[in-house]
Amino acid sequence: MDNATAQMTYVDHYASALLSIAGAEDDPQAAADEIFRAAQGLSGHAELVETLGDPRIPGERKQGIVDDLLGGRASKVTVAAMGFIVGAGQAKNLGDIASRVAELAAEAEGEIVAEVRASIELDAAQIERLTAALSEVTGRRVQVKAVVDPSVLGGLVAKVGDTVLDGSVQHRFSELREQWG
Amino acid sequence: MKLAWTVILAQEAEHTAEEASGGAALLLPAPEELIAGIIAFAIIFAVVWKFALPALKATLEDRQAAVRTHLEAAEKAKVEAESLLDDYRAQVAGAKGEASDIVAEARDAGEAVKADIIARAEAEAEQIKARAGEEIASERERAAVDLRRQVADLSIDVAERVVGSSLDADSQRDLVNRYIDELGGVQ
Repeated sequence: MDNATAQMTYVDHYASALLSIAGAEDDPQAAADEIFRAAQGLSGHAELVETLGDPRIPGERKQGIVDDLLGGRASKVTVAAMGFIVGAGQAKNLGDIASRVAELAAEAEGEIVAEVRASIELDAAQIERLTAALSEVTGRRVQVKAVVDPSVLGGLVAKVGDTVLDGSVQHRFSELREQWG
Repeated sequence: MKLAWTVILAQEAEHTAEEASGGAALLLPAPEELIAGIIAFAIIFAVVWKFALPALKATLEDRQAAVRTHLEAAEKAKVEAESLLDDYRAQVAGAKGEASDIVAEARDAGEAVKADIIARAEAEAEQIKARAGEEIASERERAAVDLRRQVADLSIDVAERVVGSSLDADSQRDLVNRYIDELGGVQ
């Protein structure tokens, strides 16, 4: 078993565990969605991930950081789940675990996940229209998992499986950079 | 002793008598001596004519033949020597010509090598010059590209900051809606 395969196995196991925790909640889908958002939010900050993955920092300190960041914004179950992942030394895999949680949750519903990063919080109407549009594009039922990512500057980026649909301002600037470079 | 004196006296007397008879008698031999001498001469002459002269003649002829042979041999040797001399002269002349040809060929070869070395050196110099020119042009192009990229990066960085700070919530929402419309329009 090579490193990549082992890594995926760990990610799958942790994602399954988180999904099981969400499944014990009253609204499993909402719980899974919150876990996904929390994990994505934490993994979106490289310095934070590095700090949470630093073995020299005590576990209590890491748990305190997670509590400070998520306490009051997420349920206790979600905070405890993030603390569990960080405490297990998997902080660097938080993004992959979050994606896998969303994928597994969607698969349970017979859908595929579209991870959407936008510079603003999408409202329900936008998510509904985006879901319809992406379902048309992919030919499958899509479940949109949207997170706020200021680095896109404007517009949004949708990742469905291996396909990336990039309508962000950041992408336009990248294209400009390539053209001028 | 007495006898000796007697003989001397007798001879003196005889001498005195001859002087008395006159000088002509002293010059002419006696006839009998003259006849005997002629006969002896004839005999000796005959013997010489008959035997010595042919032998002497044969010896002289042999001698002449030998001398002639020697002369002919010397002449032949001279001719051969002259022929050899001519041959040597011809060979020397040929050798000189050959030497001249070799020198000329060596000079031509040297000139060809010299010309080849010069041509190669010139070609190499041209290549170095061309390569240096290409490297300069390439370096200039690379510098221009780097400068262009730096200017572009700087400009885009500034633009990103400006856009990031100037896009309000409505603009952000419009951008999102526009892209969702584009996705829907793909169908």
